[in-house]
Amino acid sequence: MVRLNQYPMKDMGLLGGTLKKSLRYGAVIAASTLAFGITVAPAAPAATAVKACLALDTGGVDDKSFNAAAWRGAQSTATASVTVKYLAAQSDADYAPNIKKLVDEKCSVIIGVGFLINSAIVDAAKANPGTKFAIVDQDGFDHGPNGDQYPGTALTNLKGLQFATNQSAFQAGYLAAGFSKTGKVATYGGLNIPPVTIFMDGFAKGVAYYNKVKGKKVVALGWDTVKKDGTFVGGFSDQAKALQISKNFEQQGADVIFPVAGGLGGATAGQSMTGHKSVTIWVDSDGYVQAPQYKSVLLTSVVKGVDTSVAGVIKDVAKGMFSSTGYLGTLANKGTYLASYHDLAKKVAARLQNEVRQLGIDIKSGKVKVS
Amino acid sequence: MKFFRKAVSTIALPGLAFLSALFVSGLLIAFSDPKVLKLAHSPFKFIGGAFAAAGKAYLALFEGAIFDPNLAHPNFFDGFYPLSETLVAASPLILTGLSVALAFRAGLFNIGAQGQFIFGAIGASVVGFKTTMPVGIHVIAAIVTAMVFAGLWGGFVGLLKAKTGAHEVIVTIMLNYVASYFLLWLLSTTPFLRKGRQDPIAPPVKESARLPHLAGPNLRVNLGIIIALAAAAGVWWLLNRSTWGFRFRAVGANAAAARTAGISVPLVTTLVMAIAGALAGLGGAVQILGSEYALTAGAGGTFGFDAITVALLGRANPIGTVFAALLFGGLRAGGLTMQANTDTPIDLILVIQALVVLFIAAPALVKAVFRIKQLKVGSGVVSKGWNG
Repeated sequence: MVRLNQYPMKDMGLLGGTLKKSLRYGAVIAASTLAFGITVAPAAPAATAVKACLALDTGGVDDKSFNAAAWRGAQSTATASVTVKYLAAQSDADYAPNIKKLVDEKCSVIIGVGFLINSAIVDAAKANPGTKFAIVDQDGFDHGPNGDQYPGTALTNLKGLQFATNQSAFQAGYLAAGFSKTGKVATYGGLNIPPVTIFMDGFAKGVAYYNKVKGKKVVALGWDTVKKDGTFVGGFSDQAKALQISKNFEQQGADVIFPVAGGLGGATAGQSMTGHKSVTIWVDSDGYVQAPQYKSVLLTSVVKGVDTSVAGVIKDVAKGMFSSTGYLGTLANKGTYLASYHDLAKKVAARLQNEVRQLGIDIKSGKVKVS
Repeated sequence: MKFFRKAVSTIALPGLAFLSALFVSGLLIAFSDPKVLKLAHSPFKFIGGAFAAAGKAYLALFEGAIFDPNLAHPNFFDGFYPLSETLVAASPLILTGLSVALAFRAGLFNIGAQGQFIFGAIGASVVGFKTTMPVGIHVIAAIVTAMVFAGLWGGFVGLLKAKTGAHEVIVTIMLNYVASYFLLWLLSTTPFLRKGRQDPIAPPVKESARLPHLAGPNLRVNLGIIIALAAAAGVWWLLNRSTWGFRFRAVGANAAAARTAGISVPLVTTLVMAIAGALAGLGGAVQILGSEYALTAGAGGTFGFDAITVALLGRANPIGTVFAALLFGGLRAGGLTMQANTDTPIDLILVIQALVVLFIAAPALVKAVFRIKQLKVGSGVVSKGWNG
């Protein structure tokens, strides 16, 4: 998942709310509140053979989304001979300086987390051929100074980590269509960008596939597979808007909702819990584990293996087997998958469970095309 | 001697506020370090560990903001890479700070530097990647476009205030939302999509529209800092030496008296907001053409909001604003190194910045702490109330 910083909203809300008698105090309060959420960076062990470094985007290490997943993956590889560290960015302007810091620190491998870091990573990879790089959610190719050369040139020290999440989202769409009592299911995204819409597209096509196979007319709200447009929050931090979208979907009769907006999924799951009208499909990680407060309404999760792929890169570097060949997470290599139904397993008909399982096998074998 | 005393009294408050902020932040650094907390059983070791932790963090801050000996060989000059980063971070801040400071002096609260910055960034980016022009002219065209876009955006607020009495604080805050969502929408339209990408990132500006580097390709410091300093000199001249500047200040000091004296308050209001907008827009242009080269949804960062702090710290004075912006630029650049070298969270830099402002805004506190009886406190204009 992608998260963009929403500074203007955050800060203006505070400033607007606290401006009272004098601007001076308003500004002080705004400046002071900027300081919330201090995180204690983990202390790195003593210098060892492999040093794996993450350059995070502005979401920060606690974003409960892909930054957190990448860091979780990196931490899982830490051993006596592998140290891990991360640098967080406060704004888009920090990416290039942060990566230079990591190069100067002689990191064995530097992994950029998030598509916005791509340019900075590509530049650094070209300037430092001796250092290994990887980038999450981008192909990692050099597309020229104007970014318009396609397919572009591969770099021998940069690996792109991408995910065919439409495969698992396709399964989720089929499952949702089969699970729905009202004949309506829904999805919405944070922003209209590929790492988000690939989920929504897969979901809607999964619903369409169910209709084709079963001769049903289940409606998928929130994404038009032809127009390539749908319902979006406009960011990844507006809980109120995500909640409003979820309520609207419920009023239209949707009883399965698949939010593709990182932590905003909590708004939808919360509505599912209070309204008892819908269930939620979690995104990115297994919500049952990462957001257990919602476990009673989580039908399943469409997992994107940012953590396992990041861990894979670091392990390869440690073994001296780093390759710049792009990684594509699929159902076949478990880079993306549909999580367990957990507590809701007894509500999903055994037949439907079998069909979803078989669908996964058919997608892997290429019998069913998801795009 | 008199000059010296004046200089001391001017910088004493910000200086002492900064020292106080460093002290409190040092405590935070020490207490958030698990290694220090482990020493809690022995008071002496604990204090020593705390000093060591804070000292290490501040050393990294210095190394990240001014000079890093680790980078100084084989090429000694490269050791100044951090200083270059400080200047890169300070350039847009100087310009947005000037935008806020100028408006302050005319009695206007420009909370809209963020939106104006975004419009400047949009203008610079469009000209930068869409058009083809000879080297030199391209940069100037991009900068002028940025200033016009942002000037109109800011001037619109002044016009609204002049014609309808709409309060500029509310209007600028709201227009910040409009600007950031407009940017988000713009980045989803076809002309602003980078080929082969659908992420909200515009194509990079062409080489011919980029601001030249001042100290070789390895250091990112660029013409932007010169532009920013020139703008500061220009604003100083405008405010202190020109007739219009006198009118601005007259309106800021007492709008009713200025009107009686024959100054057109609506015209001044509109003009000041337009110039303030153009300054913030110039900041956006410097950011895009000088160091980022591409428009993104987060291109605005927090430059417009930090500008309010910078202008306050600089006492709404162009020269003070430059130094305040340099300080904040240094904190930004140094903060990244502090995070990298000592695992001190980067958020702590925000704490230091907030504490500096807190101490600045509470002169009585600084006076009490340092037992100073006479200390020149703030200029009246800055602390004027909501209905000023």
